[in-house]
Amino acid sequence: MATLEHSLDGYIDRVTTLPPAPVVLPRLLQLLGQAEVDSHRVVEVLSCDPSLTAAVLRLCNSVCFAASEPVSDLLEAVLRVGFDRVYELVVVVVGARSMRRAQPGYGIDEGELWKHSVATALAARTMAREVGAGASAVFTAAILHDLGKIVLAHALEQSYARLIREIQVNQASLLESEATVLGVQHAEIGGRLLARWNFPDDLVAAVWNHHNPAAAIGYEQAASLVHLGNLVAHFMGFGYGHQALALRGREDALELTGLKPRDLPRFMIATFDQFRELEQIVAVRP
Amino acid sequence: MSPGAPNSFEHRIVTGMAEMAVTANRAAILVTYSLGSCVGVSLYDPVAHVGGLIHFMLPDSSIAVDKARLQPAMFVDTGLPRLFEAVGQRGLEKRRAVVCVAGGAQILDDQGYFNIGRRNIEAVMQVLDEHGLTVAAQELGGMVNRTMYLRLATGEVRLKVSGQSTEAVLWRPLSTVWTATSTG
Repeated sequence: MATLEHSLDGYIDRVTTLPPAPVVLPRLLQLLGQAEVDSHRVVEVLSCDPSLTAAVLRLCNSVCFAASEPVSDLLEAVLRVGFDRVYELVVVVVGARSMRRAQPGYGIDEGELWKHSVATALAARTMAREVGAGASAVFTAAILHDLGKIVLAHALEQSYARLIREIQVNQASLLESEATVLGVQHAEIGGRLLARWNFPDDLVAAVWNHHNPAAAIGYEQAASLVHLGNLVAHFMGFGYGHQALALRGREDALELTGLKPRDLPRFMIATFDQFRELEQIVAVRP
Repeated sequence: MSPGAPNSFEHRIVTGMAEMAVTANRAAILVTYSLGSCVGVSLYDPVAHVGGLIHFMLPDSSIAVDKARLQPAMFVDTGLPRLFEAVGQRGLEKRRAVVCVAGGAQILDDQGYFNIGRRNIEAVMQVLDEHGLTVAAQELGGMVNRTMYLRLATGEVRLKVSGQSTEAVLWRPLSTVWTATSTG
């Protein structure tokens, strides 16, 4: 096992095309996880990043209809909109930097993985709220759930045709085919990368196990929500590449969350509406 | 909109998810992108030169009656009758209608817990049947995302599977081929 562990981390080390580390997210998650949130420190973190500052002000001025004058002070904006919404916006803006680019190795065009990630996050968040799970962590994990694909995309450029053949001939999932063709799979690589970047354990486990949530010991619910959010995004056509829907639906994700198959259409509708709303504030499309 | 002149540039009219579009403009190409488990239905009347395209997300509106009122094309049961009505107003006659259906992809799901695609297909077929319509061409199920095009100039319907660079013809009028051979 030690050698395998070693080789997977070595794999990440050898990849030259790692996405930029979203350093602001673990820092914010930690700040917002405290019983009493220090709004000045939140603003301090945000104000290091001009595009985040602009996005938060834009959000505030578009949702605070009651405000007669547009807000230009970041602290005031954060307090008016609330930490949860600010945090989610930050995830969206920061996530876009890593997830927006085209990944030819998976047949992903520019913006496709990003739209998929946003749809997954919106669906998973809605479900998290309904079952009373921590929505912030689930939202973040869902935005980043396919991060490992960015790491593997380069290796796959040479073997994408083999991957697709493996899926078609054996009715295998993309994840299983990655393991066959490359010896590694994107969920685990993504989880390892987030662990390196000091993301909290629940988030790492949810990404690592988003195709097999029962294996996320201690964090089964979060992993299940990301799994189901991913399915909803695929149903809605927020997918990419050939054989876009080659993933296995895990019935235990329903059991672990208490959700029913008949609930899924409702989450599709909510995701449809929220996607449109979000597009008013940040450009989701490329 | 007036029918396009024979040489006018073709242009795309995009039909988004949970939307429909109807036109009699012969220069138009109706297109709907990325049908995952969603289902697209195109209607075309070769005599009236009217076409319509719709992109359903879900089979049944009873789960969200208010939503269906605002966005009937989201659901098969409210959307398809609405499409028939709209193309009918433009002169499409059902007996001449060429109906094509695409989408309804499925994930790998042995137990059938996540069968939105299959349920969408069944709902479409049922409503078409109730209206006495038969399908001229279809490409359904599988694990692929499809984009669907209806070209008003000829009634040709094409599909593009995501991750592949080429489009394939789903339906094309026989008369085009026949005219080509007879004049050639």
